[in-house]
Amino acid sequence: MANHKLRKTPLLDDLQKGPWPSFVKDMKQIAVRKPMVNDLLGQLELSYKERVGHWKHGGLVGVIGYGGGVIGRYSDAPEQFPDVAHFHTIRVNQPSGWFYTSQALRDLCDIWEAHGSGMTNMHGSTGDCVFLGTTSEELEPIFAKLTEKDWDLGGSGSDVRTPSCCNGMARCEYACYDTMDVCYNITMEYQDELHRPAFPYKWKFKFSGCPNDCVASIARSDLSVIGTWRDDIRIDQAAVKAYADAGMDIRADVTRKCPTACMRYDGKEIHVNNKQCNRCMHCINAMPKALRPGKDTGATILIGGKAPIIEGALLSSVLVPFMKMDKADDYQEFKDLMERIWDFWDDHGVNRERIGECIERVGLGNFLEAIEVDPKPEHVKHPRTNPYIFYEEYFEDDGTDA
Amino acid sequence: MATQPSAPRKTDIGPPHYEQFLHPVIKKNYGQWKYHDYLKPGVMVHVAESGDKIYSVRVGSPRLISVDVIRMFADLADKYCDGYLRFTSRNNVELMTDKEKNIDPLIKDIQAQGYPVGGTGNSISNIIHTQGWVHCHSAATDVSGLVKATMDELYEYFVDMKLPYKLKLAAACCLNMCGAVHCSDIAILGIHRRPPKIKDEQVSRVCEIPTTVSSCPTAAIRPTTVEGKQTVKVDDDRCMFCANCYTVCPAMPIADALNDGISLWVGGKVSNARSEPMFTKLAVPFLPNNPPRWPEVTDAIKKIVEAYAGDAHNYERLGEWIERIGWPKFFDMTGFEFTKYHIDDFRHAAETFARSAQIKF
Amino acid sequence: MSDAVTTAQIADEMYNLVKEYSGKKRFKSSDLTKEIIGKHGDKVNKKDCKAALRELMDSGRCVYGYAGGSFIALPGEEGAAKSQ
Ligand code: HEM
Ligand code: HEM
Ligand code: HEM
Ligand code: HEM
Ligand code: SF4
Ligand code: SF4
Ligand code: SF4
Ligand code: SF4
Repeated sequence: MANHKLRKTPLLDDLQKGPWPSFVKDMKQIAVRKPMVNDLLGQLELSYKERVGHWKHGGLVGVIGYGGGVIGRYSDAPEQFPDVAHFHTIRVNQPSGWFYTSQALRDLCDIWEAHGSGMTNMHGSTGDCVFLGTTSEELEPIFAKLTEKDWDLGGSGSDVRTPSCCNGMARCEYACYDTMDVCYNITMEYQDELHRPAFPYKWKFKFSGCPNDCVASIARSDLSVIGTWRDDIRIDQAAVKAYADAGMDIRADVTRKCPTACMRYDGKEIHVNNKQCNRCMHCINAMPKALRPGKDTGATILIGGKAPIIEGALLSSVLVPFMKMDKADDYQEFKDLMERIWDFWDDHGVNRERIGECIERVGLGNFLEAIEVDPKPEHVKHPRTNPYIFYEEYFEDDGTDA
Repeated sequence: MATQPSAPRKTDIGPPHYEQFLHPVIKKNYGQWKYHDYLKPGVMVHVAESGDKIYSVRVGSPRLISVDVIRMFADLADKYCDGYLRFTSRNNVELMTDKEKNIDPLIKDIQAQGYPVGGTGNSISNIIHTQGWVHCHSAATDVSGLVKATMDELYEYFVDMKLPYKLKLAAACCLNMCGAVHCSDIAILGIHRRPPKIKDEQVSRVCEIPTTVSSCPTAAIRPTTVEGKQTVKVDDDRCMFCANCYTVCPAMPIADALNDGISLWVGGKVSNARSEPMFTKLAVPFLPNNPPRWPEVTDAIKKIVEAYAGDAHNYERLGEWIERIGWPKFFDMTGFEFTKYHIDDFRHAAETFARSAQIKF
Repeated sequence: MSDAVTTAQIADEMYNLVKEYSGKKRFKSSDLTKEIIGKHGDKVNKKDCKAALRELMDSGRCVYGYAGGSFIALPGEEGAAKSQ
């Protein structure tokens, strides 16, 4: 059926071998009906041979009215590989927790089969379902078909990037708040911020249900929401006994590995000094049938995580030690906090500076003051060691405040 | 450029609501899960307060997949899982069913399609990775190929749960590190090693010079004039090859076949379990880009995995193990050479110097 | 307010700014907002500007561009076909 000549790819062909599933095998099969994938293979083979990439970035592409969701990509060897001369990416906003039905996936596949290369990333690092490779003319038709089936585009550029979350309450007993609902709610609340870039730079939200942080929110998002609890770890002593009877060395593997040394096993039962527990999850991970997070649950809010470019990598740092994440209140406390942060960022952020860098520049203390959050010892590892304090107030000789 | 739409456009509708995608057993027991267990590598059971159970079978995927593969998974979901499935944060596929008897035939069908079941518990799960030469302009290497070559070598650790604890790998093709590489147990990172080459005749046409100058984190870029044309120059001694300038100015390509390669980083984590989240630290500063199989890279990774597997305690992540035994022992055990490149010389570098007399001999 | 500035008027003024400085300066959404507020003082606020921006972009008179960060440009001004 193909009227295009299949590219020869001797180097890539080696990657068809071996036990791990091969993207090359997959691409070669689809290349028979998709000239775009055929040329993608051709260009990739050239990269393998020359050991250098062949893409150009940039360009103004998108669907009308949106500033995000489509990323322009062009080959730097279009004469050689005409079918990937234009090879744009589309980001489709994934459902919370990446749950799908077979029908929903088939709808997406049919759209992409008709209007693009048929290659995808399930999923991109931000969380979107990524369609790899199409041309500008196809963008509006794809968008129309996606929205007809109730799908929308995700973020790109200086906007709210597509929020993502762990599977939380859907399938994890550790979840301390409803990650999937918060993720959906926040995505809907900030549709305008997501589709129409108006920030100094990108803004990523990620929601994990407990301190295990399965979506790596602390490393990969500007605003990390990590579930936690304030009351006591729930203990089922019968289940503790069952673990012991099954041969688990509870002292070696659980209590002695507690980082705060706040737990003890007396040979029969586990005792926890909950005032000292720092909610690290280790004991619960080790004994999921016997130990569970408490019932007074909510989340710790952290801010400023990012990869190395530009000023060096940062992990998010504590902003609000505990927030209830109240569904009945439509998460208003959280949204109010966002408004205050974005107002600040609007006024003080500079182009291409992530919020974490911005906070470093203005000082965490000044930032907290501006967004009306009281400074607390939880905000720091320890108080400052350097004595160069910029005091803003002192008494004048006549006894008045300066 | 975009064409005018005909019908009124729907915009800002957001993603479909997740509830319609939940298996009935998941919907019924939402927020009511009691505990989970691993039945065998790749198979988890979650048990609800109600006594209901949902079984999840985890399948390794290359992430870069065609619609044919997605449809194949959709067919499997129809056959065994009432049409429900999901993807994980590490790009695995999870097929979920409430029928225990479906597990073995499902696994058989998955394996017959050439896909592995595993990645749970104390295993090496899928490698988080970025785009590489398949789709990114700043890539110093191809991560799809690197991941394939590495997972072929580490396959036994995916389909089994025989490590001391979880071991998470990530690969990124440039310093931009789109995939949280800076916090994985082992990170494979594509690197450029030569300052950008400047196409003087193009700079003023395709780039905004002030933006380009300010894009450089080390202030290595200065405006200048060459043959009457405004352009920029780079102070080579200050360049740390971040490609930041190339992002804002395409007339400053940094990719270079002779010098691009791979560095390896170890000991990061994002989970809060026991120790705080940590960044990765440099293990090997440079390995050659050697497609299609990158043997130097996969050999070095195997050395790290084997040293860790042989020596770490239960529940000890790679970074915690190294902190316990000390970095000198890590270099001993892996045989990697310690060089001056391992010593930080960027901002706040002095915080990483050893400042005590506690030394193991 | 009787002398209120309409959304359409703000959108026009934004468009004129982008056009006037085309090729000289790249405006981000927030730059345009600041310009407008600077001009009209408290007769306009950020919300009005946001609505105007949306109208401007939906009309297709301007499009979003990207160069290290998002900015607002005239359609076809640069990018895509612009080869190195
Ligand atoms: C300047 C242009 C940049 C573009 C166009 C860009 C684009 C992207 C894209 C497309 C993704 C993956 C999204 C997906 O797969 O859906 C991504 C992820 C990521 N980018 Fe960038 N990026 C840029 C710069 C940066 C910079 C400067 C940093 C670091 C400060 C950075 C850090 C990250 C991180 C950490 C991720 C992955 C983690 C996550 O998904 O949250 N990127 N970026
Ligand atoms: C009920 C228990 C748990 C559930 C349902 C769960 C679920 C998941 C899932 C589905 C993933 C994606 C995994 C993959 O594709 O390989 C994941 C990743 C992860 N999990 Fe869990 N997990 C659980 C417990 C834990 C525990 C006990 C830890 C840590 C001690 C943990 C830490 C992580 C981390 C760090 C990631 C990877 C994040 C990343 O690097 O992208 N999880 N979890
Ligand atoms: C306004 C700032 C500071 C003042 C007034 C100050 C004052 C002093 C004084 C009076 C001594 C005792 C000298 C002696 O006994 O001969 C001293 C010692 C010392 N200071 Fe400072 N210091 C300041 C800042 C710092 C800072 C910022 C550091 C380091 C980060 C520092 C590190 C030391 C050290 C290491 C010693 C020697 C301690 C020892 O030998 O026991 N000082 N300083
Ligand atoms: C004008 C500048 C840029 C544009 C228009 C641009 C555009 C894009 C686009 C469209 C993607 C999606 C890639 C895909 O799915 O194929 C992307 C991904 C990415 N870009 Fe850029 N980019 C730019 C600059 C940069 C720069 C300077 C860097 C880093 C130095 C960078 C790093 C990345 C990364 C890491 C990804 C993520 C890949 C993933 O999904 O895992 N980008 N960029
Ligand atoms: S982050 Fe916590 S709640 Fe969410 S899936 Fe992981 S272990 Fe479960
Ligand atoms: S959660 Fe961590 S700190 Fe708390 S008791 Fe368990 S092991 Fe100790
Ligand atoms: S890590 Fe670098 S090269 Fe790789 S996809 Fe991200 S930006 Fe592109
Ligand atoms: S590669 Fe990075 S450090 Fe080097 S000149 Fe460009 S921006 Fe500066």
